[in-house]
Amino acid sequence: MDGKLPACVIDVGTGYTKLGFAANKEPQFIIPSAIAIKETAKVGDTTSRRLNKGVEDLDFYIGDEAFDATGYAVKYPVRHGLVEDWDLMEKFLEQCIFKYLRAEPEDHYFLLTEPPLNTPENREYIAEIMFESFNVPGLYIAVQAVLALAASWASRSIEERTLTGIVIDSGDGVTHVIPVAEGYVIGSCIKHIPIAGRNITYFIQSLLREREIGIPPEQSLETAKAIKEKYCYICPDIAKEFAKYDSDPGRWMKKYEGMNSVTRQPFTVDVGYERFLGPEIFFHPEFSNPDFTIPLSQIVDDVIQNCPIDVRRPLYDNIVLSGGSTMFKDFSRRLQRDIKRTVDSRLKLSETLGGGRLKPKPIDVQVVSHHMQRYAVWFGGSMLASTPEFYTVCHTKEDYEEYGPSICRHNPVFGTMT
Amino acid sequence: MILLEINNRVVEETLTLKIKNAQAGLKNESIDVTVADFDGVLYHISNLNGDKTKIRTSISLKFYKQLQEHENGYNVSVLLDLENIPQNWPELIKKLGLLKRNCFASVFEKYFDFQERGDEGQKRAVISYRDDETLYVEAKADRVTVVFSTRFRDEDDVIIGKVFMQELKEGLRASHTAPPVLFSHREPPRELQNTDAIVDNKVGYVTFVLFPRHTARNTRDNTINLIHMFRHYLHYHIKCSKAYIHSRMRAKTSDFLKVLNRARPENKSTDKKTITGRTFIRRD
Amino acid sequence: MSATLKPYLTAVRHTLTAAMCLGNFSSQVVERHNKPEVEVRSSRELLLTPVVISRNEKEKVLIETSVNSVRISIAVKQADEIEKILCKKFMRFMMMRAENFIVLRRKPIEGYDISFLITNFHTEQMYKHKLVDFVIHFMEEIDKEISEMKLAVNARARIVSEEFLKRF
Repeated sequence: MDGKLPACVIDVGTGYTKLGFAANKEPQFIIPSAIAIKETAKVGDTTSRRLNKGVEDLDFYIGDEAFDATGYAVKYPVRHGLVEDWDLMEKFLEQCIFKYLRAEPEDHYFLLTEPPLNTPENREYIAEIMFESFNVPGLYIAVQAVLALAASWASRSIEERTLTGIVIDSGDGVTHVIPVAEGYVIGSCIKHIPIAGRNITYFIQSLLREREIGIPPEQSLETAKAIKEKYCYICPDIAKEFAKYDSDPGRWMKKYEGMNSVTRQPFTVDVGYERFLGPEIFFHPEFSNPDFTIPLSQIVDDVIQNCPIDVRRPLYDNIVLSGGSTMFKDFSRRLQRDIKRTVDSRLKLSETLGGGRLKPKPIDVQVVSHHMQRYAVWFGGSMLASTPEFYTVCHTKEDYEEYGPSICRHNPVFGTMT
Repeated sequence: MILLEINNRVVEETLTLKIKNAQAGLKNESIDVTVADFDGVLYHISNLNGDKTKIRTSISLKFYKQLQEHENGYNVSVLLDLENIPQNWPELIKKLGLLKRNCFASVFEKYFDFQERGDEGQKRAVISYRDDETLYVEAKADRVTVVFSTRFRDEDDVIIGKVFMQELKEGLRASHTAPPVLFSHREPPRELQNTDAIVDNKVGYVTFVLFPRHTARNTRDNTINLIHMFRHYLHYHIKCSKAYIHSRMRAKTSDFLKVLNRARPENKSTDKKTITGRTFIRRD
Repeated sequence: MSATLKPYLTAVRHTLTAAMCLGNFSSQVVERHNKPEVEVRSSRELLLTPVVISRNEKEKVLIETSVNSVRISIAVKQADEIEKILCKKFMRFMMMRAENFIVLRRKPIEGYDISFLITNFHTEQMYKHKLVDFVIHFMEEIDKEISEMKLAVNARARIVSEEFLKRF
C-alpha cells in the first residue's frame, strides 16, 4: 500500500459501460449506457427544454435503474461509439463516479476510452468535463483498440508485448476490424461487419422457431440468447459436424431447461445443430444475411492487405480478439486456420507466377485468445492504469490549467517498454 | 440523486454474487478485488491464504490510527466462509457495505456519550480524514460541536462553495430540528484558534452544533449518517452545479451560433432539375 | 431595459455599422499576404482611431478599426465574485468553440473579456447588418444569462442545504 488510491477506469460503450478501479481483473460494474431523465416541457429544442431553476437536473437514473424508472424518458448519450449528447454524458459520469464507484474524483486519476477515429474536439470536450466539473487530478484518454491489444499481453511473454496488431472487436451490435501499428490506429483501413452477437441470437431464434414449439413466444429471444451463451461453439467443418451429430445424437444434442415466466411451468428445448450453426454465421454470413456474404476471415485478410506493406507481417502475427461475441470455443483456431489458408494460397500463386524461381518466406498467422477477452478493453485499461508509467503520461490538472484543453488532443502511447 | 448513498455498492454486490454462486452450487473462483470509497478508504476483498471458500473483506482507513488501534495495512477484516453461509447473510452484507460509515460512527458515538454523561473534560478529537482536511469533535454538557475543515482544489470552487455554505448557515429557517451551522472561510473558527488548524485561502471551516435532540439514542444514527457524508455532499453539489452551468452554457452557445448563422446568406440551390430528377449542368 | 442600456447599445450599433466599411487590402510589407491590419498593425495610416463606448466603469466596448478589419472587444458586467467566475467560465467555454463562431477571437484583448475580429472576408460573405445584430444580441444576452446563472446557482445552494438540514 503506497497510499495512492487506484485510478478509475471507465469504458463508455454504445451499449454498455464498464467501470471500476485499476488493477482489478474485472470491471466492478457493467451497466447499460442509458440515462433516464425527466423532460418537463415539450416545446423548444432539447437544450433549452432541459434548463431548470432548481435541482431537477439531479433527478435522473443511469444503467439498469434507468429502465426501471417510470415517468422518465430513457436516452443513450453515446451513439456508434461517439458521444452525441454532452449534457447527458456529463450527468452520466456524475453518477458513475459518485453513486457507483463512490470515488471523490479529486483523489483519483482517470482513464477513459474512446473509439477509433474519435475527433480531437471530442477529446477536448471530455477533458473540459473531467477537469472543470470534476477537478480530476489527471486524465488519460485511450483508444479502445489499443487497450484490447494491451489486454492480450496477459497471456504472452514480456518480449512479445507489442502494440501492433489487428483487433477484432465484436460486441452485441457490430463487429469492427481495426488495424493498429505501434499504438496508432490505421484509420483508413478499419472495416465494420454487420454481424455480431445479436445476429447470432436472432439466427438461433429463427432455427428454434421452426422446430421447437414448447418455448413461450415472449421468451424466445432470451432462450435463444441463453442457448447461445451456454452451448454454442465453432466447428472446423460443417459437413463433418452434421455427420457427427447424426451418427451419435445422444452425445452431441443437448437439452436446455427453461421456466415459463408466467405459468412457472418448466419447459425443455432440444439443442442440436444450432450449437455450431449459430456462430458459424461469422464465417458464412449468407446463412442469416443475404446482403452480406463476405466471411470474417476474408475481411481480416482484406484489411491487412490494405495496410502499409511493412506492417502486414506483424499484423498477421498478432490478431487479437475482444468482446463478448468472440468468446465461442475454438473461434480463434478456426479464424487462424481460415486466414492461414487464404495467405498460403496467395503465396503459392505468387510462387507459380514467378515461375518457381522465387520462394517467398511463409507468413505466420496467429490469432490470440485469452482469458480477459470479454472485457478486454476495460482490462487493458485497468492493467495500464495500474503501472507507474500511467501517471507519467497522464495529462494533469496543472497542465490543463496552464495550456488549456488542447493538450488532451494527443495522448502518448505507452506500455511497450514495460 | 440529491443525497449520497452511505453504503458501498461494490462491496455489497461482489459479496452477494459470491454467496449466490456458492448457494447455487457453482465452483468457487478465487477473488482479489480492491476498491476505493470516499475519504481515501480502500476495501480489499480476497481469499484467506488462497482458500477459495474463505472470503476476507478488509477496510483500510488512513486515519485509523487516530480512531485508535492499528493493524498492518488493512485495519478491520471480516471473514466470510462460503462453506458455512450464515442464515442472515443479506444483513451481514449490508453491514459490510456500511463498514466505513461504522468506523466513522465510533468517534461520534463516543462523544455523543460524553455529552450524555455531561463529561466535559474530554480532549477534542482530531481526525485527519483526508490529506489536508480535518474533522474536530468536541463534547460539552449541552452540545457536541463538529467542525469540518475542507479544502477546495480549484479557485472557482472556493467561490461556489462559499455560496453553498452561506445558504447552509441560513438553512435553519427551513427546518426547526436542524442543528445551527456556522462557517468561516480562510480562518478557523474561534475554538480552533491557536491550534494547528490551517489558514489558507482555499480552506473553509463548517461548524455543526449538535444538541441533545440530535445525539439522543434514537436519532444519533441518522445524525451520523448525515454528518459523516457532509464533506462529500458539499463537494458533490459543487460539482453538480458546475455540470449544470456547463449545460446552460452549451444551450446559450448554440443559441448564439444560431443568431450568428442568420448573418450568412442562405445558399439558394441554383441547379435546375428535370421532372425525372436529373440535373442540368451548364457547359460554357 | 434600464434607462442607460438602450442608448449604450444604440451607440455601439451605430459605431459598428460605420466601422463595418471594410475593403480587401493586401499587405504592404509582404508580398501575397493579406492579413487583418488591426491585428498586424503594419502601418499607422491603415489604422483608425479606436473608440471606447462605456456605460459605466465596468461595462464598455472597444472598437478598433482598420482598412480591412474591425476588432470589437467587450467588457462584461461583473458585480461580484460569482459573476466574475461565471463570466470567466462562459467566455472560456465560447472561445474553446471559436472555430464555429468564425468571427470570435481566440483570446480577448487585455482588459476586456471577449473580442471579435471581423474582416473584409466576413463582410463579403455575410450580411453586415446581421453581423451587427449578432454583436448587439450577444451584449444583451450575456448580461442576462450571467445573472440568471447566478440566481440558479444560489437557488441550487439553497435547495441543497435545506434538503440536507431538514433530514436531521
